Amino acid sequence: MSAKKRGIWVFGDYRNYFQNRVTLQLLSRAQELAKKIDGEVCAVVFGHDVDEYVGEYIAHGAEKIYLTKHPDLKHYSMEIYTFLMERLARRENPEIILIGATAFGREFAPRVAKRLGTGLTADCIGLDINEEGLLVQMAPSFGGNLVAEIVTPERRPQMATVRPGTFQEIPHNYVRTGEVVRTPMPEGTPAERVRLIRSERFPQRGGKLEDAKVVVCGGRGMGSKKKFAKLFELAELLNGEVGATRPVVYAGLAGHDSLVGQAGKQIRPQILFSFGISGAIQHTAACHDARFIIAVNKNPNASMMKQADVAIVADASQICTTLIQELKRRIRS
Amino acid sequence: MLKMVVCMKQVPMASELPWDAATGTLLRNLAEGMINPACRSALEAALRIKAAEGGEITAITMGPPMAEEVLHEAIALGADRGVLLTDRKMAGADTGVTSYTLARAIEKVCPEFDLILCGFATIDSETAQVGPQLTEELAIPGVAYVDEIEVCGRTIRMQRRSDNFLETLEMDLPGLITVTTGVHAPHHVPLGGLQAAFDKADILSLAAEELGLDPERIGVKGSATRILNVYSPTAAKKNLVLTGAPKRIVEQLFERFDDKLGGAIGKDLKTGKRS
Amino acid sequence: MFPPGSGQPAGIKDIRSNDLDCNPCMKHKVVRKAVRMFAEAELGPIARDIDRDARFPWEVVEKMRPLQFFGLQAPKAYGGAEMDSISCAIAIEEISRVSAAVGLCLTVHNSVGVNPIVRFGTEEQKRKFLPAMTGGERIAAFCLTEANAGSDAGGVETNAVRDGDDYVINGTKIFVTNGGVCGTALIFAVTDPQNPERSAGVFIVERDTPGFTVGEIEDLCGMRANPVSSLFLEECRVPEQNLLGRPGDGIKIGLATLDTGRLGIAAQALGLAQAAFEDAVRYSKERQQFRKPISSFQTIPNYLANMATEIDAARLLVYRACAVKDAGRPFGAEAAMAKLYCSTTATRVTNLAVQIHGGYGYSKEYDVERYFRDAKVTEIYEGTSEVQRMVIARAVLAQRT
Repeated sequence: MSAKKRGIWVFGDYRNYFQNRVTLQLLSRAQELAKKIDGEVCAVVFGHDVDEYVGEYIAHGAEKIYLTKHPDLKHYSMEIYTFLMERLARRENPEIILIGATAFGREFAPRVAKRLGTGLTADCIGLDINEEGLLVQMAPSFGGNLVAEIVTPERRPQMATVRPGTFQEIPHNYVRTGEVVRTPMPEGTPAERVRLIRSERFPQRGGKLEDAKVVVCGGRGMGSKKKFAKLFELAELLNGEVGATRPVVYAGLAGHDSLVGQAGKQIRPQILFSFGISGAIQHTAACHDARFIIAVNKNPNASMMKQADVAIVADASQICTTLIQELKRRIRS
Repeated sequence: MLKMVVCMKQVPMASELPWDAATGTLLRNLAEGMINPACRSALEAALRIKAAEGGEITAITMGPPMAEEVLHEAIALGADRGVLLTDRKMAGADTGVTSYTLARAIEKVCPEFDLILCGFATIDSETAQVGPQLTEELAIPGVAYVDEIEVCGRTIRMQRRSDNFLETLEMDLPGLITVTTGVHAPHHVPLGGLQAAFDKADILSLAAEELGLDPERIGVKGSATRILNVYSPTAAKKNLVLTGAPKRIVEQLFERFDDKLGGAIGKDLKTGKRS
Repeated sequence: MFPPGSGQPAGIKDIRSNDLDCNPCMKHKVVRKAVRMFAEAELGPIARDIDRDARFPWEVVEKMRPLQFFGLQAPKAYGGAEMDSISCAIAIEEISRVSAAVGLCLTVHNSVGVNPIVRFGTEEQKRKFLPAMTGGERIAAFCLTEANAGSDAGGVETNAVRDGDDYVINGTKIFVTNGGVCGTALIFAVTDPQNPERSAGVFIVERDTPGFTVGEIEDLCGMRANPVSSLFLEECRVPEQNLLGRPGDGIKIGLATLDTGRLGIAAQALGLAQAAFEDAVRYSKERQQFRKPISSFQTIPNYLANMATEIDAARLLVYRACAVKDAGRPFGAEAAMAKLYCSTTATRVTNLAVQIHGGYGYSKEYDVERYFRDAKVTEIYEGTSEVQRMVIARAVLAQRT
């Protein structure tokens, strides 16, 4: 009789499937983790019309699917899902549960962790197994200034939410097969106490900044309104959007829509140009998802300069102007 | 008339973190503290409800003795009283333990609460976990990331954005919400309010024993997670530093990264010619 | 503790009492934080611009009103914050640290505008004039100085002649801080020109009174965002109810008012010094010469040590004077010491800060040149340093040996 394999569970967050790939990304990482601890990759799916997703998850690496289908689960339900996940986990005792750090996941995971009396690390940017066989959860804090490596030594399951885009999904392979374990809705499933009155996809109003591949952010170091206005010219040449820090918005150099910060927009560009920004936590917390940061500041020790991939010690406005000139030259030729 | 509890956290004010490279720890006590911005928004939301519907606000915070400042600021802004949970034994708590501690305190000081408000996340730990876990500890319904709130008797109606969906939700009280920073932008602390807050000093300080907390369940001992290592990717980051004349800097930038930049903006930035 | 170089004297313990023990307590720490956050958020981005353009920032004044910046020590009954003197000094210091010109507006309004009415006004006068002032709707100015009466207050020529139930005021006041924006002016005038000392009075004159005109705004070296101007009073008629105290109380009120005024200026100068000092520390750590930061040589750290010590000493003088004031005792000499020392410290520290910045310090790109320009006048207004020494010497010589 083979020993029961240790379950590495990934929650099937299928809402918004085409934009939200985090479940697939987690399945791919789960496969690599499974190799290290002789684990079994499973996906957990609660819903109604979900057969299509079950097939996708198997094609992307799930060896087993725990499935609960019911008309009441047509929309995500926080309390019912928490209840179902708790019951399932108590019955099957998984080693690890991974949940994508979507808005839903970030609210769902802590509840499940609390019910199961275990620990949870949020928004991980890395996962690994160490020599002791423990899941090492790498989580950022302080606006990305710090990364902590966290383990859950004793309690089980080990739980983590993972930032979308951290891992790469593996290409689908429809030849793969997997086992589907159906669980009916149990007796005593509680009613959902939060009533969903209306849900509509909201148009990306001003989502340009949040979705922009290139962002040009300006701070106090840019100086005056005239100098700050040059950033718009630069952004246009770069097919990007302009963001601003709070002092700049307060001084009227940019509108509130441009605010990049905890009280404003979160950005995740491929390239972030940061002009004259010192890097207060409220700001960096909203832009540490940027893949490549070029910061320009007279102060080489500014927090933003330390976080940048390229730190240019110079007058922000001058570099902006020079960049514009050079870009115009190159794009023309 | 709503009995409200606002959970607040004092977070470091510094944007440049004092980092002790020798011990690899954060010198938290060197940085001045401030109210976490999202917690300020939660208080702001409670104040608006109080202004519209009437009510009472208890501000509660868990932290070292210095965290008491947060309560005075909350009272200056309009909270009615403050509760400080402070005890050496509570240090090092993870969110599971924090929510356990807060729950027991709320049961003690405001057992007949109608609405608990928390900030959606802190700018230091950024987990966004305490709100939902507090909901579970108190076995009440809860909604996170709430943008707008409307009170209709014993029900509240909320609007929020959740993963590309604009949702309108309803919940019967007692319940808990975590509040985002957009709609409930906080305003500055009035000075007269501060003076009055310190004169009145309606602040209660509670330690673990007074809360009847199980010592095995609090602090570092009670925490399920353990931090193995903390490092500063910024300190360790080998970044490229460019100095000198702007023209030369920009030249170097393109020399090394013209592909990367070009790829991101979808244009060809290579040039064979040199000006 | 605040990060190094930012003002909270190291070693001052966090204790609660605030009697003559002038150590700041938790309340003062929280007040400092609240005002600092306000100043950095609202004034920080525009401080340079309002100086360059000599523009009074009404939009920030709007935001200050509901926070009771215009009624710092006034009683709550009249819309004030009723803060203790150290808290008030801290508030002025923190605003001045970001914009000395706005700090000047606030301290003058509070200490020599609101304060005399609180101390010497009748119940009717307080109810009539204070709420608009503490609410910031009417900014106050105190008008003493004239062309022939600077340090010599006895040389005042503005006169107020009794006419029925009114007084008719004629005269010109110069260098009036807040002059360009004041809504309520306290005018120092003599009722009997033959007997100026015994007949001086302080009259409350509101801006819209016929015969009251504001002259041109002065083009000054520093504090440029504060609209300093002349005020012309031509047959300006005010009811006798606008006289503060009794006829002849003018000198007494004037002197008492100035004590509080100079304590506020001391705090303002302190904020300036603090700002310059912080910039100097930061710059000396960043600026490299001979492949090392200039903070690693000998001269610059010596300068910084002197600056730090003087600022700490200045701050303690301010708090000591505040403590004596709040204990209800005469504090004139202590206030004079604080004003004298803080203003000379401000000029010394800002001068050194420019020096430490080298050529860059002389450029408007950096803030230190503004601090340097702003600092000088703190040794002049609200009683020159020479006058402060007179006050201190008098107190010294009056002591029994």
